[in-house]
Amino acid sequence: MVIKYFGVDRFFTFLRTIRDAGGIRASLYKLYRFDNLRPGTLVGTDKFGNKYFENPTYFYGRNRWVEYAPQYGMEYDGSQVPAEWFGWLHYKTDYLPMNDPTRPKYKWMAEHTENLSGTPGQYMPYSTTRPKIEAWVPSKCK
Amino acid sequence: MLRLTISRVLNEAKSSPKHLFVATRSQSGEVKKPEKIEVFIDDKSVLVEPGTTVLQAAAMIGIEIPRFCYHERLAVAGNCRMCLVEVEKSPKPVAACAMPVMKGWRIKTDSEMTRRAREGIMEFLLVNHPLDCPICDQGGECDLQDQSMAFGSDRSRFTDIDFSGKRAVEDKDIGPLVKTIMTRCIHCTRCIRFASEIAGINDLGTTGRGNDMQVGTYIEKLFMSELSGNIIDLCPVGALTSKPYSFTARPWEIRKVDSIDVLDAVGSNIVVSTRTGEVMRIVPRVNEEINEEWLADKSRFSYDGLKRQRLVTPMLRDKDGELKAVDWEAALVTVAKVIKHAGDKIGVIAGGFADAEALIALKDLLNRLGSEALCTEHTFPLDGSGTDLRSSYLLNNKIAGAEEADLVLLVGTNPRFEAPLLNARLRKGWVHNESNVASIGPKIDLTYEHEHLGDNPSVLQQIACGQHQFSKKLKAAKKPLIIVGAETLERKDGGAILSAVQSLAACTQPEDSHWKVLNVLHKVASQVAALDIGYNPGIDKIREGNLKVLFLLGADEGAIHKEDLPKDCFIIYQGHHGDQGANIADAILPGAAYTEKQATYVNTEGRAQQTLVAVSPPGRAREDWKIIRALSEIVGAKLPYDNLNQIRDRLDEIAPHLTKYGAVEGANYFKQAEQLSKNTKTALESQPIDVKIKELQDYYMTDSISRASTTMSKCVQAVLKQKQSKYSN
Amino acid sequence: MSSNLLRLKNLSKCSISSNWAARAFSTSAPRQVEPTIKNDIALLNPDEIEHKKKMQELITVEGTTNLAPISGVPEEHIRERRVRIYEPPKNCMQSGTSNIGHWQIDFDARERWENPLMGWCSSGDPLSNMQVDFSSKDEAIEYCERNGWQWFVQKSSLEKKIKPKSYGINFSWNKRTRTSTK
Repeated sequence: MVIKYFGVDRFFTFLRTIRDAGGIRASLYKLYRFDNLRPGTLVGTDKFGNKYFENPTYFYGRNRWVEYAPQYGMEYDGSQVPAEWFGWLHYKTDYLPMNDPTRPKYKWMAEHTENLSGTPGQYMPYSTTRPKIEAWVPSKCK
Repeated sequence: MLRLTISRVLNEAKSSPKHLFVATRSQSGEVKKPEKIEVFIDDKSVLVEPGTTVLQAAAMIGIEIPRFCYHERLAVAGNCRMCLVEVEKSPKPVAACAMPVMKGWRIKTDSEMTRRAREGIMEFLLVNHPLDCPICDQGGECDLQDQSMAFGSDRSRFTDIDFSGKRAVEDKDIGPLVKTIMTRCIHCTRCIRFASEIAGINDLGTTGRGNDMQVGTYIEKLFMSELSGNIIDLCPVGALTSKPYSFTARPWEIRKVDSIDVLDAVGSNIVVSTRTGEVMRIVPRVNEEINEEWLADKSRFSYDGLKRQRLVTPMLRDKDGELKAVDWEAALVTVAKVIKHAGDKIGVIAGGFADAEALIALKDLLNRLGSEALCTEHTFPLDGSGTDLRSSYLLNNKIAGAEEADLVLLVGTNPRFEAPLLNARLRKGWVHNESNVASIGPKIDLTYEHEHLGDNPSVLQQIACGQHQFSKKLKAAKKPLIIVGAETLERKDGGAILSAVQSLAACTQPEDSHWKVLNVLHKVASQVAALDIGYNPGIDKIREGNLKVLFLLGADEGAIHKEDLPKDCFIIYQGHHGDQGANIADAILPGAAYTEKQATYVNTEGRAQQTLVAVSPPGRAREDWKIIRALSEIVGAKLPYDNLNQIRDRLDEIAPHLTKYGAVEGANYFKQAEQLSKNTKTALESQPIDVKIKELQDYYMTDSISRASTTMSKCVQAVLKQKQSKYSN
Repeated sequence: MSSNLLRLKNLSKCSISSNWAARAFSTSAPRQVEPTIKNDIALLNPDEIEHKKKMQELITVEGTTNLAPISGVPEEHIRERRVRIYEPPKNCMQSGTSNIGHWQIDFDARERWENPLMGWCSSGDPLSNMQVDFSSKDEAIEYCERNGWQWFVQKSSLEKKIKPKSYGINFSWNKRTRTSTK
């Protein structure tokens, strides 16, 4: 109680947070990446390596978050969260994807892809009309 | 068949002197003008010549009587009955198209009886006409559609759909140009009359009577005419439509741009229909002085050639000898460097599609560089007066004059395929004016009877000195016409032939002093403009010149080969199609085709006309004179014109007639030309006079546009197939 | 501008003297119409009457009128456009003649481009759809002059000699007009 009263427990939480993050250097990197460093319980990891955390002491809306997998570097965005985690992350459900009994799993379900806009893999519309002019192709030299 | 033989016998009888006498007497009888008679149409008085039909009289005061079978340029058939009108005191309505007016007749074109008659006829026509307007290519410009809206009943009494249904007729296959949907035919017989009267082909006709009547070719065969496309225009319904145009566009979504045809030297007026930046079809535009309202098949259907084999980007030949696409800057800089290096060792060959603006720009550029080696691909004799006097290279008597002639002598030309519309005029004169035609050259089918005087050039001399039986006729003729093919004048003894023809023309005695006997028929659209501007006919200068740079302005006829030139000669090709010229070129500058530029062309009469922009040039291609203007700036001999008006002012400076669009600047000095021609050094050779295009299959593919056209190659295949058929005649 | 107004006046004169109007007046039954009494004129003094008369007259402007500076048309579309004045010929596909017999103007065609997805055609040219009809060539020329456009007249040769047609020549035994196919 006393500890709590003087706020010393926060210091311990801070230390634990740093330890969980993997040291001072890793914590600074995490702070740089996400502008945020908070303590939380790791509730799961998806197949891309994104880690999902929960900390019920934060208020609703701040208490579930994702830390994107290291391979994304600074190029992370919301579409990298796969559909099954999306529901939990946005409070559509409180079940974690692996515990959710209603979540269907079929063979034909496609692999999740992130939004590729702005990357070389993006979709580019192409003309479906036939060319109106056929250009002359010079004959090859013998 | 019997009728045909009778007509042949009759035609042979016609050439007898007795018949000639009858003809001349009847002509002199026409000189006295009969009095005009007065009739009243819808209470409006009109004075007309006796013999005028009711329909013509109404047209004079602007009253239009509906019609299907009647056409101004065809014979009267009187079989559709749509033109029925009421005549006062006549118990029955009369067919306005066939009935000559009588004195004092009161004709009612909008009375109750007339309207009921029209409605009845319309009902009969529609009973056997399919209701497929939504999928019909004629929809939107269909006379039957329009007239059923204006004169038809507002409801149908046709209920017999289950029992016997509508009449259905099997479609005919008459070639790759005209699509037939014979169920739609209303038997106006316009196509039949066009074929036999104007095209001169008696292939189309009817079989059966009444409900069983069918229009067709009796046995399935190709409609072998160079004017076949016109029956599409003539057809008042969708029975005959254009095969290449079928299901591609609708008349209301089309943009129409008036232009000029350049595929022959006639300069027919055309309307280019475009949609979404693409030429959809080409139809004729009325010009009474040139093409009336007809158009030759090559001009009408070769537009798909404008979309194939196009040069769309500048190209340069790289070290391996391959042509590679480059951008304008690289191309112009490279070409300019070569030209600068060459100094005055540069020459130009202008091809058949070159416009006057490009010709003048190129001439100005070369003159600035100190070169005079400007040549046209098609040659013309320089002996005698050469090209100094315009009268020796123009169709002086004009195209419309051809139908008035009473005696025509064709020297080494096949107008049927070199200028189909001139041939249509000649045939018109032959049919309606009883003119006689004779030809020197190979035996050809001109679609009308003509006397073949042999193919030896010496016949010309024989006629001139009166040894030939034809010379008497020529001297007696009141309106004689001598038409010389430009191709014959390309022979080595072309000068001698021209001089012989000039002296022949001089010894005729035309009644009218303005009548011009000597006419030259060119084959390509650019020739007259090029000669007017001052290009040298023929490429001799290029061969002798030991040139370092050769500029081909659309020269694709293969007049020059790489072997004729020095080995280090750099060839620049500017044009719109990849053809023979582009194949030998070291640099290619893509130009615009005739539908893509506003440009001046001068036809074989010497009539300047201009094309208008219908679509923009494809890819990086640009208007020809602009390319030359840009090049001149980099070469360092900047041409002083920046826009079309300025370059036209320059044309005006050189030859004012080049900018008087639509008007013919007549030529004169026939006597002087004839006197000069006496100095001709060359002598007539004994080699027979020949023409390149003798048969229909040779007609379709003659230039870079029509060679690129798939429609035209289909036509050639169809004609060749028809020739092998056992039914071909 | 002045001549335009004059023309309007002439037109109104014509329409009154033309047939249909005359018929319309003559055939309609005479109606009893109450005569309007304009008492306001009676109340005015002579000066005011004179002024009122003057206001009803037309103002004549000397010389040619140039609307280009005030019409609001962008400079580019005045300086660089070339107007064609022409007489539309009959459509060769049809025999009707009611929509011809006047003069038209249109503008030079400019570049069109294709939508890369659908292939639709676009144009940045506001004048590409403008076709104005005139009853005579001179009116069209005056219109172009007023608007400051460069123009040219496309010569048309649509006039043809009317030669009486005859049904009989199809069957005349000694003429080449005799039809061989029917």
